Parts: sequence; structure tokens; C-alpha cells
Amino acid sequence: MGNFVLGKYLPYDSVIHKMDPRAKILAMLMVLVSIFLPAGYLGYAVLALVIVSTVLLAKLSLKFVWKSMKPMLFMLAFLMVINIFAVKTGYVLIAFGSFEIYSDAVFNTLYIAVRLMLMIMVTTCLTATTKPLDLTLGIEDLLKPFKKIGVPAHEIAMMISIALRFIPTLIEETERIMKAQASRGVDLQEGKLNEKIMAVLSLIVPLFVSAFQRAEDLANAMEARGYAPGQKRTRYKQLKFCFRDFVLLAGSLLLVVVIALMAFVL
Amino acid sequence: MSIEFNKVGYIYSEKTPFEYAALHDVDLKFSEGKVTAIIGATGSGKSTLVQHLNALLLPSSGKLNILNFEIVAKQKATNLKALRSHVGLVFQFPEYQLFEETILKDLCFGPKNFGATEEEAQEKAIRALKLVGLDQSYLEKSPLDLSGGQKRRVAIAGILAMDPDVLVLDEPTAGLDPQGAIAMMSLFKELNQKFGKTVLVVTHDMEHVLNYCDEVVVMKKGEVYSHTTVHEFFKDTTYLDELHILPPSVVRFRQMLNERGFHLPNDCYDMKTLCALIAKEVKNHG
Ligand SMILES: Nc1ncnc2c1ncn2[C@@H]1O[C@H](COP(=O)(O)OP(=O)(O)OP(=O)(O)O)[C@@H](O)[C@H]1O
Ligand SMILES: [Mg+2]
Repeated sequence: MGNFVLGKYLPYDSVIHKMDPRAKILAMLMVLVSIFLPAGYLGYAVLALVIVSTVLLAKLSLKFVWKSMKPMLFMLAFLMVINIFAVKTGYVLIAFGSFEIYSDAVFNTLYIAVRLMLMIMVTTCLTATTKPLDLTLGIEDLLKPFKKIGVPAHEIAMMISIALRFIPTLIEETERIMKAQASRGVDLQEGKLNEKIMAVLSLIVPLFVSAFQRAEDLANAMEARGYAPGQKRTRYKQLKFCFRDFVLLAGSLLLVVVIALMAFVL
Repeated sequence: MSIEFNKVGYIYSEKTPFEYAALHDVDLKFSEGKVTAIIGATGSGKSTLVQHLNALLLPSSGKLNILNFEIVAKQKATNLKALRSHVGLVFQFPEYQLFEETILKDLCFGPKNFGATEEEAQEKAIRALKLVGLDQSYLEKSPLDLSGGQKRRVAIAGILAMDPDVLVLDEPTAGLDPQGAIAMMSLFKELNQKFGKTVLVVTHDMEHVLNYCDEVVVMKKGEVYSHTTVHEFFKDTTYLDELHILPPSVVRFRQMLNERGFHLPNDCYDMKTLCALIAKEVKNHG
């Protein structure tokens, strides 16, 4: 469990770490948009270059990024299988008797794989370089304009920050329960199917019990300290845009424009 | 058969920015058939140490020999399940490991995982529940409806039902009422004396160390600071001061009297004998 890295903050000291969370969120959205534009191989090559440089600029190791992608591998394998059976266009790549694998099946899967990998890399760049609390402050600020149409910006931000805050706690809790049940002979790797179901159950039930308990305690503690959702609140930490943030935004905008040109004009 | 630590080191989250070395070069040999207390300030590595005993944590360096199971750092350990059936570990706050609909089922969970049949498991479960001082009426109740102290007892019974040779307990009495705590500690002592179980218990309570344990291991900043018999340990109070440990009341009482002119021997740990000695000295003086 200690090697569960998706969405984990890494406290290094880099330019990217110092940037304003709002700028980073906006930049991430722009890059995500460009990932979804159909810009062909060259477009993806450009995107990959930009994203990998950002990862390195943030002093994240490629190994760490690779680790955060691992959970997706299973999904990709699944997709590959479905594509191989479902897609029957393009030319025949390999044929086993009457069973044929078409080129589009493989290329479609590759496209999706590349997109997914790039998306995970971009989001990792954001979550690994931004403290969860800053992230929610950023989200709250960005949602503010929508308050006029009734979007509860502060509440959403609070919910997100609580959720983020409790991810490590829940992971820790899972680890603890896993160890406690391992002491009672639970073996998640081996065993028959019904034993495995029992093993998972022995993990999930205590996890839920303690999560609900925690939620209740937290709600009570917040109320006891006078928290009321609708109230006006001041902030300890003020976010401020600097030059580098504008550079980031300009850069991302340029990227979207370039990729869009590649997709629709060329 | 022995329990031996050989230059064991443990690092949490190795090779990440969160890396933390919790144990350094621990050399330790636990005596079999004894009750050993493990004490030390919070964060000194007690829980980390005991989790090595049933291979929940595997050493980052050094090696372990537990009941002839060899565990060497950086080598794939095999047969961990067999080891875990011999070494029962009760966690700090074990309440959260309960999950079944009834207490009976929950108690059967461990034995069944280690290959007991339904009848054997039930028999063991009922015996274990009795040991921790709860009667049969609890068997069909839900473990989630119990009070904190009762949950603790059921959780401990869940490990006792596995009938391990070595029983490891991480602060089993934290948060229990004083009576309940004494009952728990007596139970461990009884399991040790009647059935020859080796008991290792992490505790902060010096009264329990004195009354129920044979040996003491002191942990300090991830290292073993000392390993002595209990009587040896409480003999020298200046040493205890150094460790910021408040000695048990008998020892403090004797020490205060000696400071005020008594000449009581410092190997007396029993209130009754101490009182007799005081009475004798007062009489002789008068
Ligand atoms: N999962 C973990 N990840 C990183 N560091 C940890 C982890 N668990 C414990 N530590 C660190 O290792 C050190 C030893 O912890 P440990 O739990 O062994 O202490 P302890 O002696 O049992 O303390 P206590 O008396 O409070 O239970 C502590 O400084 C703690 O911060
Ligand atoms: Mg501990």
C-alpha cells in the first residue's frame, strides 16, 4: 500500500511547485483539452515532449510517474481485448485461421493508451506538485464566478479538501486492518475464490465501520468549533499570481492553439 | 526454537522523500517461556519491532529467526502463514479488526483460516471467549454493538482462539478500566504459566511490568537500550530517572523511606514483604 502513488503530493522544491494552484489547474485543463484533439502522431509527439519536460522540470522521477500509471494497465489490457474482438476495420494485421486482428483495433487501443498515459502524467504533475489544501483553495477560487448561478463553491471546495485529507488516512487504515487480518491468517494473494471473498469482506467491513465513525466524529468536531457552511470566512493563505504563472498560462494556451491548428487546419 | 533479531533495521517508505528509519541494528533474543515487557517513549519503535515477529513487516536490513523461520532482509520470505499461526499478534487498538455478524463467527475466523474445521474452531472460540472473561451469552451478539472494552476483549479472544505458541500484544490494556486491565494482564501471565506460552507485551504501565513480567526490553529512538530482568531493572532508580520512567509505587515508596533514613533492601518488590520489613525496622529502632 505504501507504493500507492496516484494523487500523492511530493514535497520537492521546483518552479512548478511554487506556481499558483489556479494557474496550474487552468493549465492542466488546457493541456487535457489538447490531448483530446485529434492531432495525429505528430501532435501527440509534441504533447508528449511538453509533458515529459514538465515532469522533469517538477523534479518528479519518471519512475514515480510510471508507478502512478500501473493501476491503468489492467484497464488498457481489457480495452485491447474488447477492441480486438469488436473493431473490424482497416487491414488485417495478423490472422489465426478464421480469426483476424485488424489494424484499427491495435491503433485505436494505442491511441487510447497514449491519451490515458498523457492524461495521467498531466494530472500527476498537478497533484504531485500542489499541496491538497492549495489545490482546494485554487478550485474554490476558480468556481467563484459560478456562485452567481448557485454553485456552492465553498462547500464543494470543503468537500474536496476533506476527501483529499482523508485519502491517506483511509489508506493507512486499510493497511492497519490488512495487517490485523493477516495476523489472523488472511491471505489476499492465495486461496480459493470463497476464501478470497471472505478476505476482502474482512477488510471492507471494518473499513466502512471506521470511515462512518470518522465522518461522524469530524462532523461533530466541526460543528463544535462553530463551522457553518453558508457563513463568510476569511482565509489564512492568500493566493497571488506572479510572472511565472502568466508564463505557464500563456504557454498552455499556445499549446492548445498549436495542437488545434494541427488537428483542424493541417 | 528461539526468537532472535540480528542487526535488524527497518525503514518506512524506503526510497521516497518520506523515508524514515524506525529501527536501527536491533540485536535481541527473547527468552522463551517468559513474559517480556517492551517499553519506551512513544515513537521509539515498539510497534514497528513487534510487527516483525509475525512478519507483517519484513526487515530492511539484517535477519530474524523466529521459531526456526528464517527471515532475511531483501530475500523473499516463504511460509509466512505458517509463522503467523505460531505467533499471534494483537494490535494496538485491535477493535477495528472485528467484522463478522456474530462474535462466534468472528472468533472462528482465525482458526478456520489456519485450517481448523468448523467444530474445532467453535470449540476454540468458546474457550477463548471464556478466557477473556465474557460469558456464552455473547456468542450470538454482533461484535459491532459492544462497548469499547468488550470489543477489545473479543479482539484479543480472536487471537487467543488461534492458540499461538507466542503471544504478542501491543498495548493491550490502553483505554481499559483499571480492573479490566489487571484482569487482562493476569490472563497473559496465566497463559504463560499454565500453557508455557511465550508472551511479549508492549506497555507503558510500570505496575504491570513489575507485577506480570519477567524481563524488560527498553526501546529508545529505534534502538534496544537495555534488556534485563524486571527485578534488575527496577533496582537502580537513578537509571530509571535517566529514562524518564516513573517507577512502580512499591519502588517509589521504598525509595522515599530510604531517603528519610530507612535501610530497606532494594530487591524487595512486594508490598506485603515491604510492610513487614518496615514494621521490623521500626520495632528494632524503638
Ligand atoms: N506507516 C508509517 N510510515 C512512516 N513512518 C512511520 C509509520 N509508522 C510509524 N512510523 C514512524 O516510526 C516511528 C516508530 O513508530 P512506532 O509505531 O513503532 O512507535 P511506538 O514505539 O509503537 O509508539 P507508541 O508508543 O506511540 O505506540 C515513529 O517515529 C513513527 O513516526
Ligand atoms: Mg505503538
